[in-house]
Amino acid sequence: MNKWTKDHLGGALLLVTGVAVVVAGVGYGMGTLRQMGSGFFPVVLGALLALIGVALLFSAGRERGDRAGEPPAEMAHLAGPVVQWRGWLCIVGAALAFVVLGQHGGLVPASFAAVFIAAMGDRGNSVRAAATLAAILTALGVLVFHYGLHLLLPLFSW
Amino acid sequence: MHDSLMQLMFGFGIALQPENLMWCVFGVLVGNLIGVLPGMGPLSTISMLLPIVAVISPVPGILMLAGIFYGSQYGGAIGAILLNLPSHPPHAVTCLDGYPLTLQGKGGTALGITMIASFFAASVGIVVMIFLSPLLVRAADSFGPADICAIMLLGLLAGATMARGSPLKGVAMTVFGLLCGVAGTDEISGTARYTLGLSELRDGVELGGLTMGLFGIADFLVSVNRTTVNPADARVAMRDMRPSWAEIRQSFWPMLRGTGVGTAFGALPGTGPTITTFLAYALERRISRTPQRFGKGALEGVAAPEAASHSKTQVDFIPTMSLGIPGDAVMALILGALIMKGLQPGPQMVTDHPDIFWSLIASFWIGNVLLVILNVPLIGVWVRMLRVPYRFLYPAALFFIAVGVYSTRNNLFDVAITAVFGVIGAILLALEFPLSPIVLGFVLGPQLEPSFRRAMLLSRGDLSVFLTRPVAAGFVAASALLVLLQLAAWWRRRGAFVTASAR
Repeated sequence: MNKWTKDHLGGALLLVTGVAVVVAGVGYGMGTLRQMGSGFFPVVLGALLALIGVALLFSAGRERGDRAGEPPAEMAHLAGPVVQWRGWLCIVGAALAFVVLGQHGGLVPASFAAVFIAAMGDRGNSVRAAATLAAILTALGVLVFHYGLHLLLPLFSW
Repeated sequence: MHDSLMQLMFGFGIALQPENLMWCVFGVLVGNLIGVLPGMGPLSTISMLLPIVAVISPVPGILMLAGIFYGSQYGGAIGAILLNLPSHPPHAVTCLDGYPLTLQGKGGTALGITMIASFFAASVGIVVMIFLSPLLVRAADSFGPADICAIMLLGLLAGATMARGSPLKGVAMTVFGLLCGVAGTDEISGTARYTLGLSELRDGVELGGLTMGLFGIADFLVSVNRTTVNPADARVAMRDMRPSWAEIRQSFWPMLRGTGVGTAFGALPGTGPTITTFLAYALERRISRTPQRFGKGALEGVAAPEAASHSKTQVDFIPTMSLGIPGDAVMALILGALIMKGLQPGPQMVTDHPDIFWSLIASFWIGNVLLVILNVPLIGVWVRMLRVPYRFLYPAALFFIAVGVYSTRNNLFDVAITAVFGVIGAILLALEFPLSPIVLGFVLGPQLEPSFRRAMLLSRGDLSVFLTRPVAAGFVAASALLVLLQLAAWWRRRGAFVTASAR
């Protein structure tokens, strides 16, 4: 078994998040139990999160449940390497492109860019296929969202 | 009881108005359409369609929501039976016998039986709901903030521990969800909390953004270039859907027993729909005279769990609607959508907005009828939808998510938040954390904190109020029992591991 299991990472992540929440929360004012300040509830939750993190760190690698090692049912159809840099960058990039171009370009460029970039994340899509898909969905989006549902985002703006 | 029936007739009157009925039909259609797509469970389907629900007026909006819910649930069953692909965990059991039936060319029959079973089970669940909700509402009138807190505590713990895998991780995700709900302006003091200096976060995280990040974007990130769905020979024609009399007789009792299991466990917190379906399946195999057929295409193995899942879901609506405390993530999302529409489910809703409450119940039934009517002719279309390759599917879904999140508040910042939650969700999935407790925590957080603070204000900071009020004490005791059971199970597993490694 690996020295560093997923539970070690998960526990550490929870611990760090919990501590950060507590540190920030104390600054919002704890108050008393009778008159709680804004920080009371999040500090309690943050502390709980950190404690669970510690518990996970300690139990990691020791406990093997009956269901351990089995992929969850809804991930059973997945195969191949877990690391997919191209796919990841394209998907996150597509969402961010929508935000940036939505602000400085309008619905049409934002839609086209989002679909095109996202589609390029899949190795099975050629540039032409991605562009066609983007054009079709942009046209559909303009019809449905702009003319149909009167979305506030202008078609073009710069 | 007579009163309930009168109210129900009134509800039907509202739900059957042409405009409302149209939205319900539309909801069932798009819910089914999106729900059938690989990887799109009720959670992602509902969150994707939230923006449409947001723009129309409350009554049709809620009717549409009910339609979407049923449509997406049934859509998930189609994927499970024809492709062996459960996009919603409760359907995992349906795959066991549903997919072998498809391989034998009897996928249509399995779908037909599923439809009959879910319609029957939902009808039973609705009747239970009609009679139990008013009782619960009457009881809830005497609940104080401390009682509400204790009930929420049990709901949250149940939601956290019923997820698959480590209960510890489930609780961690519930806490994380509660914290996501805390971000934004504190409604009591007006302090901006955890906004990271961003003024856009003062209004808090948008529900649609959170769920679409966690169940949409995160899923794309995990599945891109890795999906191996093979929609081989999933051909189903309309006439295949009609089961023969022998097949109906074969699945009649399993359907009844499944409904019974679902209804009985529906009221019991801590038993999620997934566990319920597994129980119903196990029961059928146990009492069957030919248990060896199970897993190789036994109709009973499809009818019982589907019936259990639908009656369980229906009964789950009782605490969601009459107390405002959802049992699982899907219920939490529906609750969130109602809150978004300015309705606070709870005892007040039933008394103040009887039109909405009862038309919602009526629309549950109408939604189920519509599902049957629409699915028979449209099954061919759904099957074709199943064949859309993933490489076209996810860019399109991402686009609809982006436009949808934007349109809820006309704010592009929410789209960025969605991307952030997508990355968070993908990391959590990779580390094998369950995601649905986050939604439960997120929706309940903004209710839990004020009622806890109010309870403490009323008791002058005395925590013993949770043990002296009978209702609160009962729920605190139940929560403690739940934790103890989990600890005991953990201890046993640990012991088994120690002995196993000592050998």
